[in-house]
Amino acid sequence: MTDTLPAGVRGAAPSPAPGRTPLPWLRKHRALTALCAVVAVALGLVVWGQLAPRGDAVPLSPGNAGPDGARAVTQILGRHGVDVHTAGTFEEAMAALGESSAATLLLYDRNGILDEPRLRDLAAAAGEVVVVTPRLETLTALGSGIRQAGVVPDDAPPLAPGCPLPDALAAGEVSGSQGFVYDGGVSCYRPAGSAAGLLAVSGDGQLTVLGSTVVLGNGQLDERGHAALALRTLGKSPDLVWYLPSLEDVAASGSGQTLDELAPEWVRFLGPWLLVVALAAIAWRGRRLGPLVFEPLPVVVKAVETAEGRARMYHDAHAVDQARDNLRAGILVRLAARLRPGPGASAGTVIEAAARLLGRPAADIRDLLNHHPGSESRLVAWAQELDNLEKEVNSR
Amino acid sequence: MAISGRFVLLVLLGLVPVLLLPGWGTVCAVLAVLAVLCGTDLLLAGALKPVQVLRSDPGNVTLNGTAEARLIVRNDGSRRLHGLLRDGWQPSAGAQDPVQGIDVPAHESRRITVRLRPVRRGDLKAPHVTLRSFGPLRLAARQRTIDCPGALRVLPPFHSRRHLPSKLRKLRELDGKAAVQIRGAGTEFDSLRDYVRGDDVRSIDWRATARRSAVVVRTWRPERDRRVVMVLDTSRTAAARIDDETRLDTGMEAALLLGVLAERGGDRVDFLAFDRRARARAGTAIQGNLLGQLVQAMAPLDPELIEMDWPAVPAQVRAVTAHRSLVVLLTSLDGGAPEEGLLPAAARLAQDHVVVVAAVRDPQLGAMVRERGDAAGVFRAAAAERALLQRAAVSAELRRYGVEVVDAEPHQLPPRVADMYIRLKAAGKL
Repeated sequence: MTDTLPAGVRGAAPSPAPGRTPLPWLRKHRALTALCAVVAVALGLVVWGQLAPRGDAVPLSPGNAGPDGARAVTQILGRHGVDVHTAGTFEEAMAALGESSAATLLLYDRNGILDEPRLRDLAAAAGEVVVVTPRLETLTALGSGIRQAGVVPDDAPPLAPGCPLPDALAAGEVSGSQGFVYDGGVSCYRPAGSAAGLLAVSGDGQLTVLGSTVVLGNGQLDERGHAALALRTLGKSPDLVWYLPSLEDVAASGSGQTLDELAPEWVRFLGPWLLVVALAAIAWRGRRLGPLVFEPLPVVVKAVETAEGRARMYHDAHAVDQARDNLRAGILVRLAARLRPGPGASAGTVIEAAARLLGRPAADIRDLLNHHPGSESRLVAWAQELDNLEKEVNSR
Repeated sequence: MAISGRFVLLVLLGLVPVLLLPGWGTVCAVLAVLAVLCGTDLLLAGALKPVQVLRSDPGNVTLNGTAEARLIVRNDGSRRLHGLLRDGWQPSAGAQDPVQGIDVPAHESRRITVRLRPVRRGDLKAPHVTLRSFGPLRLAARQRTIDCPGALRVLPPFHSRRHLPSKLRKLRELDGKAAVQIRGAGTEFDSLRDYVRGDDVRSIDWRATARRSAVVVRTWRPERDRRVVMVLDTSRTAAARIDDETRLDTGMEAALLLGVLAERGGDRVDFLAFDRRARARAGTAIQGNLLGQLVQAMAPLDPELIEMDWPAVPAQVRAVTAHRSLVVLLTSLDGGAPEEGLLPAAARLAQDHVVVVAAVRDPQLGAMVRERGDAAGVFRAAAAERALLQRAAVSAELRRYGVEVVDAEPHQLPPRVADMYIRLKAAGKL
């Protein structure tokens, strides 16, 4: 375009940035470093809190040392030569049952997780099955003729055996609180006026139904005949499989489809691709057109700040006398400028001149000017009077 | 390197094949196509290494004026340069269109004009120019920042110029050019002329009248070729803002008006900005237009956060001129301890020179003195009263040494200083 270039500044390539070491960088970005450290520590605490082993709180779990756990009874059984295998899933339970012949199975299926085929498999594999507070479905699946028959009344006294079973007779009476009663087979611990009992054993002795978790729990194991009944019921064979079905058994049962399987195929790629679009948009908008330009800002201070600061200091210190002296001197100077009593006039001369002008006794004005307001409220009133006086003089 | 909005749109369009043929294979294929497109565009973009940017000097502009910064982009590469240019002016330069599209064919040059509307006085800088060169598909761009320093000098606005005609008229009245000719207006004997009605009878020269048949009067003219030295205080007190401008800016306005007026009045003008060392010097002795020199000297001045070195001021004035002159100190009356700084310096100067101290009074203090609403208001009034009394005391002390004091609110200060000059000139005190 232009053949001759005007005198100007020729552009040159930028010099390479000087190497930077991490320590000055950290010092320079101190706030950022501190923030990063705080975030890292907080993150670490949260992760540690999540990963830390928490106490087992599952009811009747052999690891649970709480009142509703079964740590005590499993430990005692272990000490008396019974091998307690704890199983959390169906596969583990079947494996444990397969390892030993005629093992006893304790099944406590609180939520009715297990379906009929599995229950049958378990019953077939085990030598003897002890079911704690089973549901109707569980009992039906096990098919031993034992049925649910309601609950033990709240105010029922401790229940006596009342049946010929040697275990019950040896144990004596047990608590019936929060218990369920079962009908069919041989039933023991019947509440008054009921044909069903807390403990029911099927005709062939294969299935024992215990209608109370209190008997096995840590909390009341040492009361009444709880320990005896628990140990005799569970300690018949050298192997005991302690199976508490968990949520993993639900997932394995394969009921229903997940959201992922129901959604069409392309949905899986929608999110990640939109993420890619977002990243591209960030790169597009985030790339600045050249470095920022430095703006040197000069220092500018509001001039009245010093007077305002002094006013706040007076106020905080309740400097009533100082304020009064200032105001008095100010009005005298202005009155002197207005009345012109002559150079080097004293306060008295100015007051007399003002009194002559206003036609008021000089003593009044002198009293007003020499007044010492002791408090802030009186200072305000006095200052207003001074102002009125000045206005009066100026209006003449 | 940078990408364009078009590329982002293309990535969004990539959603269509990904959703139609879901699978990781499609995702990889689309990503590969995008990467290839982006890379090709980047390769085909005009190279920035052989591009040269030349800046022509934007020169001077007064505050609130507009200037044009011109750049010439020369493309010595073999491909067309198509993209964006950003001229990196600092924000207060008020660049209206710092980012502009450019299209420079190979081996050609193009001129870019950036309009500037500066909002601050001083030397405003543009350290670099950034170029972004897009490929033929406008998907991706190369980017390079080129050091190309430029500066725009923003001169003080000289708002007090509007007072100049009236003050010049006053000055001419002294000079005998106007009809009014009164004795006392000037002290130098100018000429003799015939009496006309209306002339002051005191100015009749009887001896000359005796020689001639007509009555002859003497005319006088004001002194000429006197010296005016303006000392502008750039120390910390100059950083205080009163109304909308700092003391420094008000002082500049006053100095500009006085300088121009004194030059028209036939006097020699010198300007000195000083805190602990001389920040700027200007004056009639140097070749060229005085106003231009003054604004050039004032433009880069900023208040320095240091205490004024008053004891050095008399020596500085002596360095400027050894003759008796009018020394105008543009400063403040309420900074620190005037009895240690300003007062002795002004007193020493007053022994050899006519000294005027011009200071800005804060109109807010006047409003504060009237506050009577509550205790806080009365305390504010007391504090303001104290500040005013202090100023009055310093003024009185200065006057005792024979120093003239001009104490005015910001917009009043320049004309009041000019009036003071005219008064002193009329009284023949220079």
